[in-house]
Amino acid sequence: MRFATACIFALGTALAHAGHDDVKVDPALRRLPGMIAALGEPDAEGRIYSFYGKPIGPAGTPAAYVPGELRGWRLTLLAGKRFASVFEVKSNSESEIIVTGLDGPLNGIAERDVFIVEEIAIAR
Amino acid sequence: MQDDAMKLAAVLALSLSTIAWAPGAAAQGARIPADAVDAFHAALRNKDTAGALSLLDRGLVVYEFGAVDPTVEAYAFRHLPFDMDLAVATRWQLESRRVGGEGNERWVLSTYRVTGKQSDGTPIDQTTLETVILRRTGELFRIVHFHRSTSDAAFQARAQGQRSQGPAR
Repeated sequence: MRFATACIFALGTALAHAGHDDVKVDPALRRLPGMIAALGEPDAEGRIYSFYGKPIGPAGTPAAYVPGELRGWRLTLLAGKRFASVFEVKSNSESEIIVTGLDGPLNGIAERDVFIVEEIAIAR
Repeated sequence: MQDDAMKLAAVLALSLSTIAWAPGAAAQGARIPADAVDAFHAALRNKDTAGALSLLDRGLVVYEFGAVDPTVEAYAFRHLPFDMDLAVATRWQLESRRVGGEGNERWVLSTYRVTGKQSDGTPIDQTTLETVILRRTGELFRIVHFHRSTSDAAFQARAQGQRSQGPAR
């Protein structure tokens, strides 16, 4: 199922431009969809607060994150057991994303789960 | 005895909704089908990704402007971002609504006058037709299918092109 989902994402991003004059509206916010490549190390209690991932999307999507850029951004899981779960990004490197503990641990996420990071604060 | 049974049913319903939505997820839905539809539009307009997702059934299939999202994950990844951009950039005025169905399966048919502007200033002014099917799990309805199209052939073509490109940035 996870592989099938990944294939659908890959197909979706690979589809050719249809050639129509597209509807173009301003993005509501900056965002970067991505896929989890590996889980971070759990702490002593087994809680996970980080993972390794990479941006995925149409042509022009960066190959890696800009270190530190995602601090304070909202991270939402788009697939897997933690579907629709939301976290605040604490820090990031080119490939690792660390979340704050404010929304609990990431436990339940898995490799190939898809997520999106958006430049907007979580409403608390 | 009857009170105990009612309490047990309430606890079971609550448990089911907790199982369906993992910890950390904004578990939402609505007791009235039309409210779920309106809440979904509001979540998009408010840039609330998780809020919008929480109103979708995990069995969601979307038909939208000629494109198909066969899973909720595919919709969340490919088209929800653009729908959010469009919701923020435009005004959706409800023009008509019919509701029906029974039991745990309901439908909500809506037409909206959608107005706004594209990035280059080109006006958007068209009618969007929306069919939504909802499924009740526990006490709450969530969207299990929606189908949108428009009577504006040019907008339909442009939207179809946009939807072939994957998520917006």
